[in-house]
Amino acid sequence: MITVNINGQDQALDVEPDTPLLWALRDVVGLTGTKFGCGIAQCGACTVHVDGQAMRSCVLPVSAIGGRSVTTIEAVGKSPAGQKVQQAWLDIEVVQCGYCQSGQIMSAAALIQHIPNPSDADIDAAMSGNICRCGTYARVREAIKLAATGHCAASRTIPVGPPPTPPADGEKAA
Amino acid sequence: MSRPARIRLAAAGVILAGFAALALQVGAGRSTTAQAGAAADPALIDRGRYLAEAADCAACHTAPGGGPIYAGGRAFKLPFGTMYSTNITADAATGIGGWSDDDFVNALQHGVGKGGRHLYPSMPYTSYTGMSRSDALAIKAYLFSLRPLHAPARPSTFPFPFNQRWGMAVWNALFLKDRRFEADPALTAQQNRGAYLATALGHCGECHTPRNVAFGLERGRQFAGAVLQGWRAYNITADKAYGVGAWSDRQLADYLRTGHGDGRGSASGPMGEAVAYSLRHLSPEDSSALIAYLRTVKPQPGAAGTEANLAPPAAVAATAWAPAADEKSPGLGKHIFEGACSSCHQWNGQGQQNAYAALIGAQSVNDPAGLNVVQTVLHGVKLPLGDGAAFMPAFGSGYSDAEVAAVANYVIGRFGGKAGKVTPAAVYKAREAG
Repeated sequence: MITVNINGQDQALDVEPDTPLLWALRDVVGLTGTKFGCGIAQCGACTVHVDGQAMRSCVLPVSAIGGRSVTTIEAVGKSPAGQKVQQAWLDIEVVQCGYCQSGQIMSAAALIQHIPNPSDADIDAAMSGNICRCGTYARVREAIKLAATGHCAASRTIPVGPPPTPPADGEKAA
Repeated sequence: MSRPARIRLAAAGVILAGFAALALQVGAGRSTTAQAGAAADPALIDRGRYLAEAADCAACHTAPGGGPIYAGGRAFKLPFGTMYSTNITADAATGIGGWSDDDFVNALQHGVGKGGRHLYPSMPYTSYTGMSRSDALAIKAYLFSLRPLHAPARPSTFPFPFNQRWGMAVWNALFLKDRRFEADPALTAQQNRGAYLATALGHCGECHTPRNVAFGLERGRQFAGAVLQGWRAYNITADKAYGVGAWSDRQLADYLRTGHGDGRGSASGPMGEAVAYSLRHLSPEDSSALIAYLRTVKPQPGAAGTEANLAPPAAVAATAWAPAADEKSPGLGKHIFEGACSSCHQWNGQGQQNAYAALIGAQSVNDPAGLNVVQTVLHGVKLPLGDGAAFMPAFGSGYSDAEVAAVANYVIGRFGGKAGKVTPAAVYKAREAG
């Protein structure tokens, strides 16, 4: 048994020490929001937070986590950065097919947490490991800027979403 | 992949030396009168297992990909053909079951197998020659305690003249110092134990000592570093800038035990295998002895510009998640790094996922030729170390020679603070070598 803190709860996992965290999350704990993409840390679909740092769970052995805390897409909305990112994702309507988006949001939330107002270069550095085959990259960048600054910085090719300032009358359902 | 270059070197040695120096040929056969001993006791078998691990027999005598241990079959691909390691289980028909004690000792100490058949020096008998008879026989007792496996040796595909094994007698006359290990009175008992482990058993020099023009080991430059099969075996002398002289005991001990020393990078390729199969099994006392001995090895300078830089500016200025804001974009290399590498290695090179991903301080990123960086990028890492944590995907099929060269140079610049000199042509060559 290996105990891992996942989304604030200690979970006793009956898995081999070299089991990738992604397997434990999806097959043992039942948190299927984190996706399997490539299995070799190259697509970013499996991104989770380990002590706030974006990590690829498909190549992270459960035994390597130790006492650190794991946060998945199911709970990222509880942090201020995660909440802002999720709201921006809704406002900009980033998602197309959606498969990569758990990972995109996790990487974006980690970025905003470390760099509250990221430059384009910062976004490239943090997000290039997250591949989207629908090509939502432009909207990903726009949503990150919206989450960070509260207004849209990039010009839009398709007019979607709310006005550049966030809604004042309460939050939308997350 | 492990140490097959030795065969090429040795066979080339035959060409160079053999036909020009027939007069030097010495008698190959040595008398083998004693017969195999009686059933061995468990303590002897235990000692034999430990010694077999210390001598890393399994690395070569086991087929990769989960082949049965000691049944041979590992391919050594050479420019002039392929040879295969042999079955050293006690199977009478296909292994060494019919070998006497003298046959076995003769193979280790003189490179001559049963019936006077010369071995190629891919079998590192130029090092094993230092092994004591009692240690050799303990290894034999261990091998004979295992289940014999029927595994016929695959014939090598060497054409003439490389298939003329008698030529090795000439090479041996020139380069085999037929002498058992003797303690150096200038060293402590611990250092001497380390010397025995490093030379007679661990045969470190077979990779880490450069070879002369006739492909014999350059004894005067012990452990100064060499290139084999596209991988660089680094300088492991006590030199502080180029060798391991500035490594702490803890860093060395961790590296030998786990394949990673904090602040000094990680083992991969042939050295990763040496750690996985052999060095991590050393007792703490023997590991300390090996380190104590390495401290005494005469420092050898390396090529200027390959000193380990422990504080490369670009990495120091970066955070884990982003390069410094004022960093100029170096183009393709950075583009590949940020997409394929940074999520595990991080922008400051400290590494996440596991300790093996740390790049700062690694000798590989301080080598402007980037041999091991390129090999690792091409072939990835998968070693049974640290609960399966030592994993990196192979990028060879996904990226062109130009892309691999660009990312290797970027990594060398970023984490070694040096101008990388990797060319697409060198990457092409590395693909062929690996």
